[in-house]
Amino acid sequence: MIERYLEQVSTYAGDIDGLINLIAWFVGVWFLVAEFVFFYLIFKFRHREGHKGEYITGEEKHQKRFITIPHFLVLVCDIFIIIGAVRVWVDVKQTLPPADATVRIIGQQWAWSFVHPGPDGELDTADDIKTVESLNTEVGKVYHFQLESRDVLHDFSVPVFRLKQDAIPGRIISGWWKATKTGEWDIQCAEICGIGHGVMRARIKVQSAAEHASWMHENSPVASIASAN
Amino acid sequence: MAETIDVGTHAGDDHGHDHHHEETFWSKYVFSTDHKMIGMQYMFTGMFMALIGGFFAYAFRMQLAFPGMDVPFWGIVTPAEYNALITNHGAIMIFWVAMPVLIAAFGNFLIPLMIGCDDMVFPKLNRLSYQIFLLSAVVLLASFVVENGGFGGAWTSYPPLSAKHEYSLTPLGSSLWITAVALEFVAFLIGGINFVTTAMNSRAPGMKLYDIPMVVWMIVVASILFMASVGPLIAGAIMLFMDQNLGTHFFDPNAGGDPILWQHLFWFFGHPEVYVVLLPATGITAEVMCVFARKKLFAYRTVLYTTFGTGVLSFTVWAHHQFIAGIDPRMAHVFTITTLLISIPIAEMMFVYIATLYGGDIRLKTPMLWALAFIAEFLIGGVTGIFLGASGADIYFHDTYFVLAHFHYTFFPIAIIGVYAGVTFWYPKMFGKMMNDTLGKIHFWGTIIPFNCIFIPLFVLGAAGQHRRIHDFTQYPELAQYQDVRVFATVSLVIMLLFQFVFIYNFFMSLRKGKDAGPNPWNSTTLEWTTESPPGHGNWKELPTVYRGPYEYQVPGRDKDFWPQNEPN
Amino acid sequence: MNRTNATLVRHASRALGVAALLGLALAATQLSAPVDANAQDETAAAVAVDPERGEKLYALCAQCHGENGAGNPMALAPSIAGLPQWFVEGQLKKFKNGARGTHFDDIPGMRMRPMSLWLKQDSDVVAVAEFVANMEKAEPVAILEGGDPEAGKAKYLPCTACHGQNGQGNQALNAPPLAGMSDWYQLWALKAFKAGIRGTNPLDTTGALMRPMSMTLADEQQMLDVIAYIGTLSGE
Repeated sequence: MIERYLEQVSTYAGDIDGLINLIAWFVGVWFLVAEFVFFYLIFKFRHREGHKGEYITGEEKHQKRFITIPHFLVLVCDIFIIIGAVRVWVDVKQTLPPADATVRIIGQQWAWSFVHPGPDGELDTADDIKTVESLNTEVGKVYHFQLESRDVLHDFSVPVFRLKQDAIPGRIISGWWKATKTGEWDIQCAEICGIGHGVMRARIKVQSAAEHASWMHENSPVASIASAN
Repeated sequence: MAETIDVGTHAGDDHGHDHHHEETFWSKYVFSTDHKMIGMQYMFTGMFMALIGGFFAYAFRMQLAFPGMDVPFWGIVTPAEYNALITNHGAIMIFWVAMPVLIAAFGNFLIPLMIGCDDMVFPKLNRLSYQIFLLSAVVLLASFVVENGGFGGAWTSYPPLSAKHEYSLTPLGSSLWITAVALEFVAFLIGGINFVTTAMNSRAPGMKLYDIPMVVWMIVVASILFMASVGPLIAGAIMLFMDQNLGTHFFDPNAGGDPILWQHLFWFFGHPEVYVVLLPATGITAEVMCVFARKKLFAYRTVLYTTFGTGVLSFTVWAHHQFIAGIDPRMAHVFTITTLLISIPIAEMMFVYIATLYGGDIRLKTPMLWALAFIAEFLIGGVTGIFLGASGADIYFHDTYFVLAHFHYTFFPIAIIGVYAGVTFWYPKMFGKMMNDTLGKIHFWGTIIPFNCIFIPLFVLGAAGQHRRIHDFTQYPELAQYQDVRVFATVSLVIMLLFQFVFIYNFFMSLRKGKDAGPNPWNSTTLEWTTESPPGHGNWKELPTVYRGPYEYQVPGRDKDFWPQNEPN
Repeated sequence: MNRTNATLVRHASRALGVAALLGLALAATQLSAPVDANAQDETAAAVAVDPERGEKLYALCAQCHGENGAGNPMALAPSIAGLPQWFVEGQLKKFKNGARGTHFDDIPGMRMRPMSLWLKQDSDVVAVAEFVANMEKAEPVAILEGGDPEAGKAKYLPCTACHGQNGQGNQALNAPPLAGMSDWYQLWALKAFKAGIRGTNPLDTTGALMRPMSMTLADEQQMLDVIAYIGTLSGE
């Protein structure tokens, strides 16, 4: 369903979309059956001259069957949905596959700023690349992120990745993604953060290995100092 | 007793010629302790607030459809105003419309009339409850007009944004706002005590627990849910106020506080709150459906037990609002399971209502249309909730327009459809006149069709990754392409709002020109229809005695198709 | 179909008809609005912009800078009332094009940039700048302590070349007036220039001129002294 509107750009986007489709099938069938029966009954038992209603208490066993059987069927569907949801959740939010690179993502009123590890692959070294409003990453690498906030709650959301996580001042929250294709997409803030919330936008760039290496070389403060000398 | 006998002689709208009573305008309309008058006060206050909430929706939807435009009757919507509009639209519609009309107005009006007593057990407490509520509404309205404007931190008011003025930039607005919310909670806490006590202690002779009409049960359960859940949030509101103005740091992480604490306090109340307003609306639907389908409610006891089940489960699901808020990811499993389990009693309730139609003799009068629309629309709200309760899918849907559309598919049936069902159904009892059915149906279709045209597109926008509380989507390259959809939703909203004037016209014209209703225009069985319309002070000249359950329609072997609760045989 | 259903359908179709008409009417009124806005854009440069529009748009600025434009240190917003139109317009455009508010450590700038982006049309930028320029000058609250105006006087000498003897500024040199500027903001700006938070963006050509000048002030005490001296200037 979702993939019709938005590309799937992370490894787990397909899993989340699959779960959403699973739920859509289960509840969709229930919904259609319920609405069909509902409108059919309204039509069937509409008021007609000379027609009398029936006296049904619904308290007897053979009558209650019409409630209890669907009741257990709903329970069965719920169990399938729970299993699907838990599997996706464990994969996306509860496990961290080994990282190829780590970026720091910082929310503040009202911009996203990013710390890239630079050519040495380590954060908090002299060659870190600090940017605002644009995050540069490489395709096919497992990225860990360390999500922080300088003031209020924010929420780092990349719809094409199906990734979303609140940023909380005073905490560092970790997570991961692995992009599957190159391109440039929206980053939104998904938690209201003040009057500039609506304009707190950024772009994520997923580059090929060669592009990313050259971007890093051009922008790393240490690299540029080295080349200037 | 002379006073109670008197009243029948001037039922109607001749306010001016009230010689028999020493009641002045003030004692009759403003400082009344009569449960019916307090119910009316709640209803009219709630409807007035609904107009404001609806107007806010108009203003911010216009901004979304036509960013930067000079909105007629409002002006340019700045981002700060946009946030204040959405915040207060939400707060007003939930706390100042759904709560007062569904619980307080119908609870006050219906409970004594449906259980056969002359008034609430604590009439003065009842009056105090309304007065505090009115004060809260005034404080809220004041918060829009102070310097720097109204509070704009969303109706959930998550700190630190709401707790620190340098973040929210609305020092007075946010303090007044949280004060108003806390006052409103106190008002309903007081009212709830009254409802539960009255329903348990003042029932007419012969009315056993299983003879109580479903709407009374549901209001009672809702009141219990409210009273049991709101305590932590009143404490939270006071803590938030202190953080804002007295320099405490309950929610400030820079000084050892925890912003997540507020989210727990808020949603521990916030989720039961959904059922607090849902239950009265489903109760109203049950009453209306039984009357117009000429049917006994299918499996009364099952409905009652699912109501209790929903109530208990509603306390265990709150953190599904916080899946991605930075709580321990393992917690998500627990709340996914409880959330999906709560779908079972709610689904069962819907099955029962659908089953009630079976074998009926359905008359599609205006109240019945509303009641049926409640079921049809609420089903959409119910099934879309499953996506959000399932943790894995919520990663994507959290805080998108999908949530917003889901929420409105639950709350619109509750707070608007449920209220219209109740008002059009009990209007003859409240005012002694019939509403115009044709105008009622025009209003019905003019509300239901645009309603779906507003929110079905918003599901699509949510699926396309559009997040909430953003004042201009054209600046996001991936979202700008859907601008036509936003315009369509906004135009639908404007049409829907315009059709509400049909209702207002119908409501007030019927007061003057409506046909006299008589005591029981719908041939209903419950007790409120056994006294004159409108009921006088004291409700009955002689209090009724109850002989049977509330929904005895089409009982075999009887001439009439209904058998009122108070008729011996 | 029985009678009830027939009336229902009739009501429904009538309602739909009315709804469609209303929708069309609304759409028609909307079509004209953007055209007007475009027309305004073309004439903005030549004709004075609508002062009422500037006042309406200032509602957002007032959130931080205050109704009177005196600024609010809590919101990191400096005083702006009465600043020359060319300067306000230039600053807003710098925020809009990303010359300012896009540096990793520019916390106040990051708050201002989204606000400038809200002004989509150039005519709106001009209108707000015009309105701000016409505001009555507001005396900002002085919150810095420890500056010695006597010591600052000498240090101010290099500044006079552009900002003028009395801190009145000079449009030809893109130098804003300094007299009446929030003192805490001057301190922040000097530090930002020195640290390269401002004046390093390739788009910020005027800021690039100020950056080397900020280097003449060796430490925070010297900055405080200069700011204290600027506080004594008339700006005339």
